[in-house]
Amino acid sequence: MSSSSVLEEIRRAEEFLVVGKGVRRIDALDKVTGRARFTGDFVLKDALHVRLVKSPIPHGRIIEIDAERALSLGPVRFFTAADIPGENQVGYALPDQPLLPADKVRYVGEPVALVAAPDEDLAEKAAELVEVRYEELPAVFDPLEAMERSDVLVHEDRGTNIAEMTRVRKGNVERGFEESDVVVENTYRTGHQEHAPLETEGAVAIPDTQGGVTVIASIQYPHLCQRITARVLGLPHSMVRVVQPYVGGGFGGKDDMGPVVSAMAALVAFKTGKPAVLVYSRRDSFTSTCKRDPSVVRYKTGATRDGRLKAIEVQIILDSGAYANRGPYVLWRATMHAGGPYEVPNAKVDGFLVYTNKVFEGSFRGFGNPQVQFAAESQLDELAERLGMDPLEIRLKNLLRPGSRTITDQLLESSVGIYEAVKLLGEKTGFRAKWREYRRERAGRVRRGIGIACGYHGISTSRGVPDWSNATVILGRDGSVTVETGICEIGQGSWTAHAQIAAEVLGVPVERVKVVGGTSDAPDTGATHASRGSSIGGIGVYVAARRLRERLADAAARLLECDPSDVEIREGRAFRRDNPDDYVEWEELVQAAYGMGYEMSATGYFFLPKGKFDMERGLGYAYPAFSYIANVAEVEVDLETGKVRVVRVWPALAAGRILNPVLVEGQIEGAIAQGMGYALTEELKFEDGRILNPNFTDYLIPTSLDVPEVEEPIYVEDLYEYGPFGAKGVGEMALIPTPAAIMNAVKNATGVRITEIPATPEKVYFALRRAGVVAGE
Amino acid sequence: MLPEFEYHRPASLEEAVRLLSELGPDAKVIAGGTDLVVKMRAGLVSPRHVVDLSRLTEIRFIRDEGDRLKIGAGTTLWEIENSREVARGVPVLREAVEEMASWHVKTTATIGGNLCNASPAADAAPPLMVHDATLVVVGPEGRREVPIGEFFTGPGQTVLGVGEILAEVVVPKMRRGQGAAFEKLTVREGALSIASAAALVEISGGRFVDARVALGAVAPTPIRALKVERALKGRPATREILRSASREAKADIKPITDVRGSREYREEMSVVLVRRALERAVERAGGAWA
Amino acid sequence: MRAGGGGIVVRFTLNGREVEVTTRPNATLLDLLRNELKILSVRRGCETGECGMCTVLVDGLPVRSCLMLAPQVDGRSVTTVEGVGDPERLHPVQEAFVEAGAVQCGFCTPAMVLTAKALLDRDPNPDERTVKEAILGVLCRCTGYAKIVRAVRLAAERVAGGVRE
Ligand SMILES: Cc1cc2nc3c(=O)[nH]c(=O)nc-3n(C[C@H](O)[C@H](O)[C@H](O)COP(=O)(O)OP(=O)(O)OC[C@H]3O[C@@H](n4cnc5c(N)ncnc54)[C@H](O)[C@@H]3O)c2cc1C
Ligand code: FES
Ligand code: FES
Repeated sequence: MSSSSVLEEIRRAEEFLVVGKGVRRIDALDKVTGRARFTGDFVLKDALHVRLVKSPIPHGRIIEIDAERALSLGPVRFFTAADIPGENQVGYALPDQPLLPADKVRYVGEPVALVAAPDEDLAEKAAELVEVRYEELPAVFDPLEAMERSDVLVHEDRGTNIAEMTRVRKGNVERGFEESDVVVENTYRTGHQEHAPLETEGAVAIPDTQGGVTVIASIQYPHLCQRITARVLGLPHSMVRVVQPYVGGGFGGKDDMGPVVSAMAALVAFKTGKPAVLVYSRRDSFTSTCKRDPSVVRYKTGATRDGRLKAIEVQIILDSGAYANRGPYVLWRATMHAGGPYEVPNAKVDGFLVYTNKVFEGSFRGFGNPQVQFAAESQLDELAERLGMDPLEIRLKNLLRPGSRTITDQLLESSVGIYEAVKLLGEKTGFRAKWREYRRERAGRVRRGIGIACGYHGISTSRGVPDWSNATVILGRDGSVTVETGICEIGQGSWTAHAQIAAEVLGVPVERVKVVGGTSDAPDTGATHASRGSSIGGIGVYVAARRLRERLADAAARLLECDPSDVEIREGRAFRRDNPDDYVEWEELVQAAYGMGYEMSATGYFFLPKGKFDMERGLGYAYPAFSYIANVAEVEVDLETGKVRVVRVWPALAAGRILNPVLVEGQIEGAIAQGMGYALTEELKFEDGRILNPNFTDYLIPTSLDVPEVEEPIYVEDLYEYGPFGAKGVGEMALIPTPAAIMNAVKNATGVRITEIPATPEKVYFALRRAGVVAGE
Repeated sequence: MLPEFEYHRPASLEEAVRLLSELGPDAKVIAGGTDLVVKMRAGLVSPRHVVDLSRLTEIRFIRDEGDRLKIGAGTTLWEIENSREVARGVPVLREAVEEMASWHVKTTATIGGNLCNASPAADAAPPLMVHDATLVVVGPEGRREVPIGEFFTGPGQTVLGVGEILAEVVVPKMRRGQGAAFEKLTVREGALSIASAAALVEISGGRFVDARVALGAVAPTPIRALKVERALKGRPATREILRSASREAKADIKPITDVRGSREYREEMSVVLVRRALERAVERAGGAWA
Repeated sequence: MRAGGGGIVVRFTLNGREVEVTTRPNATLLDLLRNELKILSVRRGCETGECGMCTVLVDGLPVRSCLMLAPQVDGRSVTTVEGVGDPERLHPVQEAFVEAGAVQCGFCTPAMVLTAKALLDRDPNPDERTVKEAILGVLCRCTGYAKIVRAVRLAAERVAGGVRE
């Protein structure tokens, strides 16, 4: 089926039976009854429990690892780099990351060895008794310093601490600034963010009888786990089977950590012939898993008197920590989104990914974009201020529309709903009136403010990086429907959306559809990240279901003695369009189709068409489409303590078709809470590379009493031609503009621009002091 | 993983004291365990014996004795939060308890545990200090009474000797003309204090007849702010005097920088919290600003 | 009562049934439930008392099972979500969670359901603030709590409104 005909059909469809409805999650029953099983629940008899031996220093050579005392405790096994049968390499973008380091450690918390024992306490005690001797090396923690230094290198063989550089050169920025009437320049800083899924990372590996292993793990991409685990064990991919049980939250972290943890557990299982369980403690999850990259963004914006953006010049520095991991991709995404969802004729962006001796960074909801949108959207308000405009006005002047070009000079022909979304949002919230009123009032010790920020997020992988969708749909003899996909269910509800798509296309109730996902047994559907689970992931389901639907229509036509084009299949019945009373039941139809020789399983595959991208100038086709979001936030600022409370948030989303409004609302509400935590309370504190608060006692994620009221979202359904029913991605969206929306509201309330997040009470208080808004006590 | 220990569950307070003196310094008492278990898991304490007080009904009560309230050390924070006697007699304690931890923690956490754990940030301490509470301690030598101001000796340190148990807290109730309030500053709801303050004032004839102020998390132990108190007592109850007296808090405290906040921030916030607590206390005392 | 390294017998009521188990004295209630009794809906999220994933009801009130020693539960009554309802007979709270879309990854769900049940057993008609205060001790990283709060209030309406006995 050609893609244009898919689009045609979607456009024609006026009304859906299942799609677009708040269909109940297919996994809800398992979850409310406590029957849902997570990785740590699969502790098999005879299993070995695995514990990490971690580096206590930020940088040093490993001189000797002595496990004698640990081994003397009892039946303890012990593994180092030397035990790895295959390739000791788990680096994602660059081959810089060993599973277990052989020569040196690069951050506090880096696992240097594994200990396994039949009982947990023994494993833990043994891990504590392993003695590692190091020759300490000088360490570097600040990315700005690390960029300049070549005497302290996190990776000597690279000759520099700069892991990756990116750039965009569009138009002529010098001229752009010359033509500008106002120019605003600021430096923005963002901190680490820990994913803090309530279920920590974990994997259970079980040796099989053919010399391979089966891994049950908390993951976001089974085929990547399979590849990395096979590489570490020196096995063909086919010898490693990966299955996800239920996953207790991912947010990107388990995309990166899933393969690492799986490979560790698999190593133990492979070497011992016994099942091995490795579940990270909360502390491990803080000290030894990737985080959101901290950033320093220097941002210069120019505009004419009437508020039109003329030029931006941006420098993005991402602190990658000890390894590059996804960093180069994160940096590319940050770079290409640096302009915000606006028309900017001249753009110069330079990105740097820098190694330091801290825990490594990685994928996290938003993937580099929240960092730059925080800067871009703060800048826009500062610009508006200088121009005497209000924040809504300046945005409406510059927002992307169909026919606009992005900062990579990509032409956006369609599916650009942000302008309409912002307009509606402005009206719904009464933004202008409130913004003026709060600005005028500014009295008392608790001040109110309102702020707006937008965001956009490219769907699919960046640039020309290949992306595809793939799924299998199988009809059982009894008419039951099985969807097989590599997409993982990590809480976002993709499997429910998949079931809805299959049900809608086939014409059966959702309850008939079972989704088998998150396994390497299914086709490689790519990762469950980049908001692609339901959107890109769903295309394969759509295509496969279409194939079956055509065959069924054919079979039904033979039974009903009519033309296939006259057959309608709905709600589990096939009938003649002109005579609904002349029908066959679904089960009957499927059985008959089997008897007539129709193949009752089909694969659906779709390779996303992508354009050219010029890496030298950073111009060209960046993404097949973008999802768009705008948030308005209302806050209260306690001037005397610096405490910011977010009272209410109004989201507006332009992400194509809304497949399931209940799921989408859930994603928005969750993302706003996570974005608020990122903006206000979640702060990892370091001392010489060591995390001082590796726990929920002092790393503070939002509670029920902290979260704002989230108003019903505005949806602008700007359909995307290759999305299933026109859907684009949703999962990451609402987090992206949240920090800027909050800080813009703080500015409205206090007149003070906060350029660094998390804006903890202490930081806000001293910023207000410096600005003279409050005096010292 | 918790350290290995022997578990003991004495049937009476007397048996508990006897057991503790026999076992010596290797024994630790457990009540709700919400501090002790966390510390044991972190390897900060590794007792060989754990003596469970959580079933001793003898130390689990709230009794109204006219002008004072007696609260058994084994009373849970949840019971205190829901006690009408506490709400009426020592409302500032209730206010503090409301802001502590979460329901799930408070159902087992005890007031005795909060005090004996002796965290500088123990939120129950400042309210009890402004009420001039007395702690009743039982031990091998019998019973003794310790004013709360003398109970804490350092972070995690109290005057309790081997074999001694905190049995009850005796709190003089609020009197007519008095008002009290508690203020707690955290980065997030339900988190531990960056700083906290309790104030109790008595106003008569437009003057501060009495003023008591205590702070948490800004010194090695919860402390009374005596300089603030001196700057108030006998002076007219005006906002200006209250403001300038609050500033004395900086001289009363000895804050440190830690993950929850810097020394500088704690200094500033001590003043803010003291002022806010005092203002609300004055309003509750009848609201008669001079 | 006294018990050392070898083991200690603990008798208590688990979801309405008497159980007797031998456990290490230094095991927590969480260890006992998960490792010995295989009650896997009680989850390990932090073991420092902060996250609430290990929530169970003891004599009807929510507690942190990761901070309670196993022997401390002797003679008491413990409820886990298995004792609240099953797929055939869901408790109104569970029904409301399904309907309101209050479930995402599901890791926190048993703790939320138990907390909501304990709340509604004491206060059949809580306002929004009361619900939020009750679940303060259970973190959820997925939902932003909005639909969880709505679900608890929906359950309250149903129960109070006589939709269910
Ligand atoms: C998630 C969480 C949040 C928290 N939030 C707060 C908060 O907001 N504010 C706050 O102040 N605290 C907080 N705490 C700390 C703790 O909950 C309280 O201090 C609680 O009151 C301790 O009581 P417990 O009965 O659990 O003490 P336990 O842990 O049982 O005991 C604590 C210490 O006191 C000793 N002890 C206990 N009872 C006696 C007694 N009768 N005689 C002699 N010694 C005794 C024990 O040996 C131990 O050393 C929090 C804890 C957690 C886990
Ligand atoms: S596991 Fe008990 S509170 Fe987190
Ligand atoms: S649903 Fe995932 S933690 Fe609550």
